[in-house]
Amino acid sequence: MEEQKYTFHVQGMHCASCVVLIEDVLKGIPGVGGVAANLSRREVVVVGLLGDDAEGIANELSKHIAPHGYTLAVEKKKASVDWSEFSYAIPIAAALVMGFVALQKSGVVDLIDASTIGYGTAFFIGVIASLSTCLAVVGGLVLSVSANYAKGGDTWRPQVLFHASRMASFFILGGAIGALGTIFRFGPSGNLFLGLVVGIVMFLLGLNLLDIFHAPKKLQITMPKLFGRATAVHAKSSHILASLSLGALTFFLPCGFTQSMQIYTLTTGSFLRGGLIMLAFSLGTFPVLALLSFGSLKITSGRARRIFFKTSGIIVMLLALWGIIGALTAAGFIDPIITL
Amino acid sequence: MTNKIALSIILAAMFVGGAIYLSSGSGSAGREVEGGSEGVSVENGVQMIDLAAKGGYYPKKIVAKAGIPTTLRVRTKNTFDCSSALIIPSIKYQKNLSSTGEELITIPVERATGTLRGTCSMGMYGFEIAFR
Repeated sequence: MEEQKYTFHVQGMHCASCVVLIEDVLKGIPGVGGVAANLSRREVVVVGLLGDDAEGIANELSKHIAPHGYTLAVEKKKASVDWSEFSYAIPIAAALVMGFVALQKSGVVDLIDASTIGYGTAFFIGVIASLSTCLAVVGGLVLSVSANYAKGGDTWRPQVLFHASRMASFFILGGAIGALGTIFRFGPSGNLFLGLVVGIVMFLLGLNLLDIFHAPKKLQITMPKLFGRATAVHAKSSHILASLSLGALTFFLPCGFTQSMQIYTLTTGSFLRGGLIMLAFSLGTFPVLALLSFGSLKITSGRARRIFFKTSGIIVMLLALWGIIGALTAAGFIDPIITL
Repeated sequence: MTNKIALSIILAAMFVGGAIYLSSGSGSAGREVEGGSEGVSVENGVQMIDLAAKGGYYPKKIVAKAGIPTTLRVRTKNTFDCSSALIIPSIKYQKNLSSTGEELITIPVERATGTLRGTCSMGMYGFEIAFR
């Protein structure tokens, strides 16, 4: 038997790190000599001693990469957009949005009824914050970034870095507020800028998760380098930096709870106490944010994963729009239209 | 297949409808004061408008007299949510209120006309005062 060259179309390959993942997995299969994946054509060329049945080979190789959400086919599928996935994703997204609104209406913030703030209270306020409207901003950002990472084949590492950086920055910046007695925050125009940038980035990330565009490379170029998606493979360090800086950025995101905790921290007058209060607060937000970050890693079946990504995409885009409207409202450009 | 899509659309519509119903509803525990003009009083010739800030602003809609000196009195009590970051764009007011306390905001006579709207820094809670 002679080595042959096979060309397959890959469904689900969107990013530079997918290419590496697919190549690595396929190379590990007995009989495969060489693998070269092409992102822009969504093709993979396999060289090896695999026989003549291209269809059978495609199915056999697909089994190995299916857990990661990819499938191989001999023929390019005409419409690689599986619209039927939306018939699950849209109702699930709508149900979650309703649940979120119901949670806000149930008066979850009324649960906070402590007049003095200790570490326990700060932790509890963090838990409530992660269930409140802050979830729309910070949680939406976490979900959009982590789901995009997961879709790109990344696992837990960037998320762990993100959370570690978030907690570290809450401790350090909280400590600095306590020690210096001044608060770090942006003015109205800075808030508007931050709100719009985060909103637009989230919207694009959400759009990317929907997976309905056939020119993913084009969309990726418009992605900020901050998130290091396009550069994931070429510069692992930028990936790390992106996770770290994003974690630290969440300190400044417009979340009412974070802001009022920062104001309380002002009054502590001590680095250690200020830092620990903000750390306790961020620990309180961790369970819900962790669920959003690591949830996608638990879902391994290809179809369920794609439905998960589409659902996340819809939710992230809605939150992004809400955030943009909120930022414009707060800046006084438009009247409050969507208020709870 | 068609059935599945139909079911999907019905479910989605139900949930979206539910969300709209909930967000337009009167909210939890009847905190809202219907009729609006409650919370408005006159003290020493100054119109005082009382507003509670926690998990939103209550009452959400207030009717007050136009063209007289007016002070907005915003009370916070263990308020850590967005409503503590108050913004009133038309009078360029922006402040992070302390979590428990009382904030007096003077509304200039010339601004005490029409509708004055306030919001929180994320724009998701709001209130409006209609001056008549």
